[in-house]
Amino acid sequence: MRIESANRIIKLGLTNFWRNRWLSFAATLIMTLTLLIISTFAILSLVINKTTDIIRERMDISVYFQDSASNEQIVNLQRQLAARNDVKTVEYVSKDEALERFKNQQQGKKVAQFINPEENPLPRSLDIKSTAAESLESINQFINQDQFKPIIQNISYQDNKTIIDRLIAITSFIREIGWLMSGAFVLISILVIMNTIRLTIFTRKDEIEIMRLVGANDAFVRTPFVIEGLLYGVLATILAMSFVWMGVAILAPRMEQYLGIGISQQMVSFFAGHFWLMLFLELVVGVSIGIVCSLISVRKHLKF
Amino acid sequence: MIEVVGLSKQYGSICALDNVNLKIDRGEFVFLVGPSGAGKSTLIKLLVCEEQPSSGKILVADRNITKLTPKELPYYRRKVGVVFQDFKLLPQKTVWENVAFALEVCDAAQTEIDSKVPKILDLVGMLKRRNNLPHELSGGERQRVSIARALIHYPKILIADEPTGNLDPVNAWEIVDLLERINRLGTTVIFATHNKGIVDRLKKRVVLMKNGKIVSDRLKGGYAL
Repeated sequence: MRIESANRIIKLGLTNFWRNRWLSFAATLIMTLTLLIISTFAILSLVINKTTDIIRERMDISVYFQDSASNEQIVNLQRQLAARNDVKTVEYVSKDEALERFKNQQQGKKVAQFINPEENPLPRSLDIKSTAAESLESINQFINQDQFKPIIQNISYQDNKTIIDRLIAITSFIREIGWLMSGAFVLISILVIMNTIRLTIFTRKDEIEIMRLVGANDAFVRTPFVIEGLLYGVLATILAMSFVWMGVAILAPRMEQYLGIGISQQMVSFFAGHFWLMLFLELVVGVSIGIVCSLISVRKHLKF
Repeated sequence: MIEVVGLSKQYGSICALDNVNLKIDRGEFVFLVGPSGAGKSTLIKLLVCEEQPSSGKILVADRNITKLTPKELPYYRRKVGVVFQDFKLLPQKTVWENVAFALEVCDAAQTEIDSKVPKILDLVGMLKRRNNLPHELSGGERQRVSIARALIHYPKILIADEPTGNLDPVNAWEIVDLLERINRLGTTVIFATHNKGIVDRLKKRVVLMKNGKIVSDRLKGGYAL
């Protein structure tokens, strides 16, 4: 095809878009909304995921021993734990150290004064850090063996586990909702865009009929509509990205106020770090919806 | 040039064309006459490949055009010019643009457009009105533009479906005169019409259709139902 013809086709596509600007505007807006919803849920689920990971990484297991346990038994367990591949460090905390930590935590509070080294109720413990969050469960199972039960008073992992599990449940819930909403909006935007292109085709029926009668190439009839669909995708991507950017800029400081656990930090850094990837993916989704819809409506209405 | 063999077209239970056989030679001028619903328009639709026949074949230059692929179709259409009763001009384009459009959509170079359009507009006598919009023209002038557009690819065949149907007698005669001139330049012309006066005056070949069949085919005939 000649460059002249390509220019004519592009011009025709742009003219179509502009001539039906209200229709085009509606289609672009629906597509924007779709992209916005997809990216919002993507960011949300990724941020929560990351936060869960961070909490999980920070989490370790503390094993508290009965006072009746002998030092040999504790050292034995410590050695066995240290030998495991998935254990990074095992730190022994004596009664004195436990008291020290307790006093630091409860500084200035009266309760700290009631405990002294002679009558120390605080148990000895092992602080275990794992190499990966996933191995915590197997370490926990290892400590929970019957042979260690008599010497162990308490294992801290179980308490944290419920919180983590809940967090994971929330994440997956949000992700499911996200999929559902994204799917629904992708469907809506497909229908709206197909309808828009169909209306454009309808308003240009005479022109298309003449084109076909004078022997226009298929490409010449079809491509302007494809360009129109492509334009919806590009414009919607630009709009959606600006909205996401504004949303992050406005929401992040507020979230910091309420949540204050670095989630907003996560969000900002995620957005900044993945800006181009997000732009690219939105463009891919938007443009492919636009083009596919155009091709389908054109095929259906032009008898190709 | 054109050979129609055993052509039938069925629309549901209605038989629009019933075993039509017709042969038209290169450079002929043929009137296609008959009352409404006789099958003239259906035959034209099949000739320009707008529809597919239920059975039979149409050979144009020894090629069966009912078997054309979607890719070949545009190239066939460039060899066959079509003129309609309602002109089918684009209202927002000028005379020049309407004619140039037919070349633009066929991947023509700008230089080709610039050289062909004025020649064709001159042939139909519309060069001086090239910058007017269709609504600023009379019916006859619009039909001239539509003929110019049909001729822009230098087609071997020109099919006119009631080209004078919307015109007053003076304008109608001008169009008939133009089509005859085009025929003398070597283009095969198929002229579907109701207009008895025109058919009787021109003394050309007349193919009469009724109820989807060709009932008579006479050289230098007149309009007789």
